[in-house]
Amino acid sequence: MNRNRQTEILGGIVTIIILVLLIFLSNVETNKLSFFESAVSSVVNPVQKVFVDLKNKIQGNSVYFENIDTVIAENEELKKRNSELETLVRELELIKAENTQLQQYMHLSDKYTNYNTVPAYVINKDVSNYSSTLVLNVGSDDGIKEKMTVIADKGLVGHVISVTAKTCKVQVIIDSASTVSSTISTTQESVICKGTLENDQILRASYIPTGAELIQGDNVYTSGVGGIYPKGIIIGTIKEIITTSNITDRYATVEPAVDFSKLDTVLIIVDE
Amino acid sequence: MRKTAIAICLILIFFVVFFLQVNIFSSFTIAGISPNLIVIYVLCIGLFANQFFGISLGVLFGLILDFVYGKVIGTSAVMLCVIGYLGSYFDKNFSKENKLTIIMMVAGATIIYEFGLYFLNSLILEFDREYFAFLKIVLLETLYNILLSIIFYPLIQKTGYLVDRTYKKNNILTRYF
Repeated sequence: MNRNRQTEILGGIVTIIILVLLIFLSNVETNKLSFFESAVSSVVNPVQKVFVDLKNKIQGNSVYFENIDTVIAENEELKKRNSELETLVRELELIKAENTQLQQYMHLSDKYTNYNTVPAYVINKDVSNYSSTLVLNVGSDDGIKEKMTVIADKGLVGHVISVTAKTCKVQVIIDSASTVSSTISTTQESVICKGTLENDQILRASYIPTGAELIQGDNVYTSGVGGIYPKGIIIGTIKEIITTSNITDRYATVEPAVDFSKLDTVLIIVDE
Repeated sequence: MRKTAIAICLILIFFVVFFLQVNIFSSFTIAGISPNLIVIYVLCIGLFANQFFGISLGVLFGLILDFVYGKVIGTSAVMLCVIGYLGSYFDKNFSKENKLTIIMMVAGATIIYEFGLYFLNSLILEFDREYFAFLKIVLLETLYNILLSIIFYPLIQKTGYLVDRTYKKNNILTRYF
């Protein structure tokens, strides 16, 4: 009986020591622990890559066996559309050249620089229901660093929070811990976009200036304030404006331009 | 010898559970909510193996989760450690024969884990807590976990007692009195 009591006390002390150690560990910055992180991710992520490849292959096969007639018809249509687009591209190239020339006159070229990007695949998504982190298949070997901006074809995705040699972790803008300083296109008012738990396809734009007039359908861009996201990347469009009894509390819901549930390829902006 | 083999098996089974969770159960969702197999697994380790394994494997698995997904390191580890301890506490005080007690244990463990994790993360990352939306997520997740534990109950019990016999040879009587 006495021995049992002793082991119980010992167990309690060991548990407390473990918990205190974990508190210290949680306060250490993630990059100082990147050795452990690389070790764990080199065990988990190669296997996960195989699963993702397998899934993509199976999805590809089912598409292949779909009705071939529609494919032929679609092919014809696409060929026609392609030739139309080619003529359009030629026209646009002329306009683009003219545009850059005019921008240089206006000293606007520093505002709309073309970014150097690295393409990446999403190989892993967070298992928890209220947190959204992505794991991508590129890492410090490909020149990825922390705090680099991640975009998709349609708009902003998030930023890199930690890097290992072959993978990196991305916090997306719909995560409830994420905040993005942003500007509204028509009025140039600045607001803060936060992720919500209620809906993973909605952002909440708060801290709206009391005098600001918001319009449904306005585009929301990154403002460049805060030092992580560069200026002028599209976040989404204003879906609804919710007014409360106190005007300082009012907020708007923003529909992100990117569909996060179907996200599988992204681009990482590598130049500073 | 047998104990080491079981410990290695428990770690290997974690990876199977983890990949099941990531690849299969992330697609089979109820209203967009997926279950949390890892909580059920750590609870079972606490229940059927001993307190030491419940706590240490809880910390190990939590750290793996944190290194793969976490925005901060250590929060899942703390909560899974608590769940491992809770498992061994339940083992001392309740019977494992009854389906209902297992269901109650899974529900309790899921709710404690999710709330604890959300609270710890919100303290460290300083984001606004949205209680109502979070409650909805946790309740759905708990329901899903209960459903899974009902389905897998025979499997859990069979393999569980295999482990149980190795670790608790001497105190079989305590289970019945």
